Amino acid sequence: MTSVALRIAGAHGDGVESSGALVIKVAARNGLHVVAYRGYGSIIRGGHCWYQVRMGDSEMNSYGDGIDILIALNQESIENQKSHLNDKAVVIYDPSKIKVDTLDASKYRLTPIPLLDIAITASGDPIMRNTVALGAAIRFLGIDISAFAEVLKGQFGRKGESVVNQNVKAATEGYNYQGVQTIYSLRGDGKHRYSLDGNTALSIGAYAAGCKFYSAYPMTPASSILHWFAAHEDKGVMPKQVEDELAAINMAIGASVAGVRSMCGTSGGGFSLMVEGLGLAGMIETPLVVVESQRSGPSTGVPTKTEQGDILFVMHASQGEFPRIVVAPRSIKESFKVAADAFNLADRYQVPVIIMMDLYLSEHVETLDSLDTESVHIDRGKVVTENTDGGRFKRYLITDDGVSPRSIPGSKGLEFVAGSDEHTEFGDLVTDAHAGLDWAIEVRKNMHSKRMRKIETMLKNESVFVPEVLNDGADYFLVTFGSTTGPALDAINLLKAGGKNFGLISFSYLMPLDKEKTKKLLEGRKLINVEVNYTGQLAQVIRMNTGIEITQSILKYDGEAFTAEEIARQALALVSK
Amino acid sequence: MVDTNAAVKPKQILTSGVKPIWCPGCGDFGVQAGINKALSDLGIPKENAVIVSGIGCSSSMPHPFATYGVHSLHGRLLPVAAGVKLANDDLTVIGAGGDGDGYGIGVGHLVHNARRNVDLTYIVMNNEIYGLTTGQASPTSLFGMKTKSTPFGSIENPENPVGLALASGATYVARAFSGDPMHMAEMIKGAILHKGFSLIDVFSPCVTFNNLNTFDWFRKRVYKLDSVGHDATSISAALERSLEAEKTNWEKVPIGLFYKVEKPHYAQLDMTLKKGSLLKQPMPTKDQVGEILEEYK
Repeated sequence: MTSVALRIAGAHGDGVESSGALVIKVAARNGLHVVAYRGYGSIIRGGHCWYQVRMGDSEMNSYGDGIDILIALNQESIENQKSHLNDKAVVIYDPSKIKVDTLDASKYRLTPIPLLDIAITASGDPIMRNTVALGAAIRFLGIDISAFAEVLKGQFGRKGESVVNQNVKAATEGYNYQGVQTIYSLRGDGKHRYSLDGNTALSIGAYAAGCKFYSAYPMTPASSILHWFAAHEDKGVMPKQVEDELAAINMAIGASVAGVRSMCGTSGGGFSLMVEGLGLAGMIETPLVVVESQRSGPSTGVPTKTEQGDILFVMHASQGEFPRIVVAPRSIKESFKVAADAFNLADRYQVPVIIMMDLYLSEHVETLDSLDTESVHIDRGKVVTENTDGGRFKRYLITDDGVSPRSIPGSKGLEFVAGSDEHTEFGDLVTDAHAGLDWAIEVRKNMHSKRMRKIETMLKNESVFVPEVLNDGADYFLVTFGSTTGPALDAINLLKAGGKNFGLISFSYLMPLDKEKTKKLLEGRKLINVEVNYTGQLAQVIRMNTGIEITQSILKYDGEAFTAEEIARQALALVSK
Repeated sequence: MVDTNAAVKPKQILTSGVKPIWCPGCGDFGVQAGINKALSDLGIPKENAVIVSGIGCSSSMPHPFATYGVHSLHGRLLPVAAGVKLANDDLTVIGAGGDGDGYGIGVGHLVHNARRNVDLTYIVMNNEIYGLTTGQASPTSLFGMKTKSTPFGSIENPENPVGLALASGATYVARAFSGDPMHMAEMIKGAILHKGFSLIDVFSPCVTFNNLNTFDWFRKRVYKLDSVGHDATSISAALERSLEAEKTNWEKVPIGLFYKVEKPHYAQLDMTLKKGSLLKQPMPTKDQVGEILEEYK
């Protein structure tokens, strides 16, 4: 496999993000595969940010360790990025603004281009310096200028022909600038690929499942789900920005009680406010999907950086005991599938389903050949529309599988009150006048066990509550959940090339877990857990469920996502001890 | 859907047979009677009514009714009620809470649902005390009031819920008194018929823990706004009247309709809800999903 990592670096407001998006589009439309990730801060203008676009001729699962081509838009970018430069990396910069004397000219291919001058001559607009630089980068990559011109046309077509022409001119000047020449030759397979981030894939999955209501309070890195629903309001969905996360979850619960598939989303801080509502959904057995996209904590933490530090919190959030499903999609592709399935699981078992994203998964972009839209089907579970026996409806009927028939307001003869207090099969409370009476004690016991029995039912009926094992006969196994699975997958290939036989055991569904099957899959293997947190939360979950203690771990909590190279290096060090 | 000329006689049995938790003589019985009469008079089928409560003595309200109901969390009845209503605009959704619930822990939701003008009827049983937790000061407890949590007298000023609702953009704001359930039923009926966010602040005395604001105390002080020619179409007049109790040191306390204005409510403005109830909107087809996916090519 051949891959090249292009990184654009500058200040917030320099157009770094839009430049990265252009490159992704050029690559995706020219038969290449892409993994791209953006580093930025909680600031609108100024500071330092970057966008790394790794392009390759076959599928990749991580955004690359080093930089092959750097476009430095300010001096800070040289200083901040030089430690990431690969040998012989191309550095594109404007010599009128940036000094490169801290870089060893013999190690890198320094490419000074008067970006600003060219931009002003071509268009009069200094922001087009990015287009000039991208034109040069496109040449280095071995992509034809016409492919870039095509994307520019699509991007700026709405602004009129002259804007398109100015951009194409600026790009061509960069492409043809002296000293700029093809050094990589990435060969695409001619396919036009989709390019999307995890939150987009998740949103489309929810849409496909018939989610009509999404409530949220803005919070990085979940906000783009709200933006997605807002942008697609004309497609029959309702985005609702609310006053706080208390309102977000309780409004979604209300909409779900009324029969509409509903979702709310936030990050860890907002989820902290949703905790009481989560318990309400559990108690009144209302289906609900909650997205928790993790970022570096605790408290405000590092709002624009990633972490996998919330799984133990989410698995145990809210007082008391109630069944819930916690799932961490392992890829962008799986974010779609998990979201589409989450609504069926929520409806089938009348439980909250929490989708654990993280900033890296929510925001990084990958190319995909397809999403599994064909397999999406809708199962609303035990919804009843008619009262068949004429008696008062038992919304919380004690059943063997723990799941009771559910009615939707508007259905005649099926009226009931959903109560956050412990209740009878009708929904009448046993907590006030009757508390402590023998029959009320009995009701509490039976109703609590009815709810909890749903865990056994879902473990029996669903096949998803076990990890996936890759490369079964390997000597060692990396153990991951969620988004770390991607770079771990690539790490295994790197290790294989280095003569080490590693496998991968990855978890998507974290709660509930099929303890016996999970234990069998893990037993007797040499395991190394790889997680973006300090305490090895997945290892704790594994030990709690199976008794198996993983003694070697690769952990990271600096806010950045793992790269494959990083995992491979550390894994090698651990097994070479 | 609603028959405004319905006879006073109840058209259907609205009681579930479940007894509320209230003490004998509690003001909340009057509110129950008021809701019952309003729903009956308007001929709202019980399957189309949803009564949503929070936590506290007031939260017992959905249970004696044979309608749908949600007994939710402390302070969160408004978001739950708004969710129900936004999902299915064909339902009559009534929020029934208390002063601690709606003016204390959940007051933010009052402001925001008022300003977004969701078509809800929100009844607050205001007894100026926390009853179910056995008598602590509430956000509407009067200055100087002695309670279990303020044994030397409260040094906080009471909230003005009517003024707050008016300032927040509620399009129907009324006050009632449990001692006059017939008048209250009229206020509730008006609120249900009103298309938009309605607040009815109800003086609903706590006969166990509030020895100050009793039925008799209110009877001596309340008067009806329509007896003084109040112009309920004027927000300035309404705001002025909302301050009267405070200004007269609670000697003259107006009840009745403070303000009512016709404005588009949320579902009339929302792009999706304009097309019909969210519940009735079709599930997407595979082609529609595919079409959306093409945006990312």
